[in-house]
Amino acid sequence: MIDIKLIEECRGGNLNNFRKLVGLTSPFAYSVAFRMLGDEEQAKDVVQETLVTIWQKLKKIKSAEGYKTWIYRIVVNKCYDQMRKRKRNPEFVADEQTWADISNRISEGPSADLENKETAQIISLLTNRLSPKQKAVFILSDIEEMTSDEISGITGMSSTAIKANLHYARKNISEMVERYL
Amino acid sequence: MKPESEKYNKVLNVLRKSKPVLSSTEDIEREVIKKISEVHQSDVVLSDIIDFLFGWVYIGWVRRSLIAASIVLVLIFIYQQGIILKQINSLSSQTIIIDGENLNTPSDMIEKRLMMYKIDGRRFSSKSITISAKQMEQLLESVNEMQVQYKDLLNLIEEDPELKKLVEKKLIENTRIKIKL
Repeated sequence: MIDIKLIEECRGGNLNNFRKLVGLTSPFAYSVAFRMLGDEEQAKDVVQETLVTIWQKLKKIKSAEGYKTWIYRIVVNKCYDQMRKRKRNPEFVADEQTWADISNRISEGPSADLENKETAQIISLLTNRLSPKQKAVFILSDIEEMTSDEISGITGMSSTAIKANLHYARKNISEMVERYL
Repeated sequence: MKPESEKYNKVLNVLRKSKPVLSSTEDIEREVIKKISEVHQSDVVLSDIIDFLFGWVYIGWVRRSLIAASIVLVLIFIYQQGIILKQINSLSSQTIIIDGENLNTPSDMIEKRLMMYKIDGRRFSSKSITISAKQMEQLLESVNEMQVQYKDLLNLIEEDPELKKLVEKKLIENTRIKIKL
């Protein structure tokens, strides 16, 4: 649990306390970064860069709730940067066999314990046609299960824009699911 | 097509449940601490360079000398400003003094003084009156007009001997009245 006391201790420049903060922050920062980028190494890089930014700007944090929103905002922005760089490398297109494998894994239901690689593959294929913003809204809302206010705080989008992006993303992914799975 | 179809929800449930696992938190922790230390090191190098370039300002006698020099410079500046103000004031007092004599000044000279008045924009010293630029222009126009009319009048008197005699007679009478007074 991240509390303001721990953040205040880190402000003093104590690296041991910051290690604790890194341990608590990394998992949820990595979760969003990995789901957005679909690549373990890139997600780790984003988490590292985010944590360095946190260390440099710890003085700006005033509450634990604000801290979490702030972390997500940094992660999402860094993911946007990565996705922009990646535009030059086209995403791979799955063949029928790949879709069949994914379909089998999903049909196992919630008990299907997907590996990181499989999760990344499914998200990448389903969100292939979405813009970075639509992808971010979809992941934060439907996978990370955040509220509209939280997403607004992270992405800086209005609730109307969030609704519109989410509607388009859901429609698009739904079509993909119906067609291939 | 309804986005919230059964298949779609199934896929979402699987994705939600499959939280990306961060296998090497320690690696991230180590990398972050390393990067922070590097940043800290570069800060130290920067402060060393700044100290080398500007460190001499912390030497006592240099600092005291600089303070003394700055005080001397400020005093010189104030003295110069005083002289300049004095000169401007004396120029202002010379600008336009309406007391009869100065109205006979040639018009181009008056215009130059008017220019000075415009540039200076200061109040006139005692025994003088302050007028606006527009009023000054009106005054100059009326003086010019009066000069022209005066010349015309003189010509008229010169051309008509009877009128000349009459005027001379009147002037002699006026002089007598003044003497009596």
